[in-house]
Amino acid sequence: MSMLSEWQDYLPDFLDGLGVTLELTAVSLLVGLPLGLALALAMAAPRRAVRWPAILLVEVGRGAPALVVLYFVYYGLPQLSLTWSSFVCAAIALGFTTAAYTADIFRAGINSIPVGHREACQALGLSHSKELRLVVLPQAIRVVIPPLVGFCILLYQGTSLAFAVSVPELLSRAYSQASITYQFTATLTLAGLVYGAISLAAVALMRARWPRRAPTVAGAALPPERPDRTNPSWETTSERRER
Amino acid sequence: MNPESRPLLALDGVCVAYRHHEVVHDVSLDVASGEVVALIGPSGAGKSSLLRAINFLEPPSKGRVVLEGAEVGGSRRSLDALRRDVGMVFQSFNLFPHLTALQNVMLAPVHTLGVSKEQARERAMRQLTHVGLAEHAHVKPGKCSGGQQQRIAIARALAMEPKVMLFDEPTSALDPELGAEVLATMRSLAAEGMTMVVVTHEMHFAEDVADRVVFMADGRIVEQNAAGKLMRDPQHPRTQRFLNAVRNR
Repeated sequence: MSMLSEWQDYLPDFLDGLGVTLELTAVSLLVGLPLGLALALAMAAPRRAVRWPAILLVEVGRGAPALVVLYFVYYGLPQLSLTWSSFVCAAIALGFTTAAYTADIFRAGINSIPVGHREACQALGLSHSKELRLVVLPQAIRVVIPPLVGFCILLYQGTSLAFAVSVPELLSRAYSQASITYQFTATLTLAGLVYGAISLAAVALMRARWPRRAPTVAGAALPPERPDRTNPSWETTSERRER
Repeated sequence: MNPESRPLLALDGVCVAYRHHEVVHDVSLDVASGEVVALIGPSGAGKSSLLRAINFLEPPSKGRVVLEGAEVGGSRRSLDALRRDVGMVFQSFNLFPHLTALQNVMLAPVHTLGVSKEQARERAMRQLTHVGLAEHAHVKPGKCSGGQQQRIAIARALAMEPKVMLFDEPTSALDPELGAEVLATMRSLAAEGMTMVVVTHEMHFAEDVADRVVFMADGRIVEQNAAGKLMRDPQHPRTQRFLNAVRNR
């Protein structure tokens, strides 16, 4: 049997798996992105009691491998009588990892806003929360979209970790097909192609929208274009801190 | 003291320090209503720091800032009142690039003063017309020249209807031609009776428009006098040296 005809047999099952993969990606993002933004704001808070727990959470989330977090939620928390389905566990674990990584992306975006804009807000009497909502975040969001999309692609591929807690996602479909037919090369190649097709499509969309700033599949983005660097108003908050 | 003789803005023994490094030492300065005061002096003299201390962007490490007889304290409420009454124009404009000129000017009236959107729009259009940029209302700052951006920034500060306007080297980032249009706007503001404190390297502006010129060096006021008098006949050797250097450039 040629590989192509094998693929025909696998494809319907794989597309079901892809559906679960996309669902898990979406739910992890729904959990992780708002939490990441909240953590980024907390990390920038003037009060130490707010800042330090946020920094701790982010460092733990970025420091621990996602698989360790996943096992912790799936196998560890039931010992504390917290038991959920494998999908929910995967969503919690990946959502937490997403929050930790995107918190750092959001923080960098917020820090990239020229300090002069924040001073202008203060001079105009805007409260701290209005300064964030009306001036800082609308600008920061534009800066962080390309790296966020890069992270989303990584997360999408990272959902394959959920195979380890038997979520019926794309990789687990490939593995179970292979365990029946022993055609590991054919099944894993097809799974790889399906993962790759979606990732590359996302990157292509990004390149169409932001030609210079689109991430590569590896998730790295070129530095954003900056206007005239000699203009002091473009000094960023982090640069001001270094000075 | 009757209100006429009371200064609109008074600085009393103001010091400004960054960490433990003091850059403004014990400066006292009164500004009367309608007066235009130019702060001149070499770079690093503490002019901008002093200006930023007036609206607490750099809270003074010592001394008092008194606006209309009321001392500005650290409390949120007194700070809010101060910033409603004191407008600031920055060297680097600091317009919000994601908003149009009109939205930039409307932002603070709506969100700080609580003015309705219609009223704020009307007020903002009035100020943009005032600085000669009504036709740029719906343009984003990035599409405007530096001089236009600075005039939008002036309109943004004016839309709060402040009692005092602070200008921190408003033309330093502009070429002479664009600087001139900003100076013309400031000149007409002064003629309308706006109280202004201006940090500037534009000696002609200081001499022609300011009522009083204050010369600062090394974080202190060295000399101050009526504008014409100080510029033509400086008394202190440090002032003489500075003005000679500027003239012979």
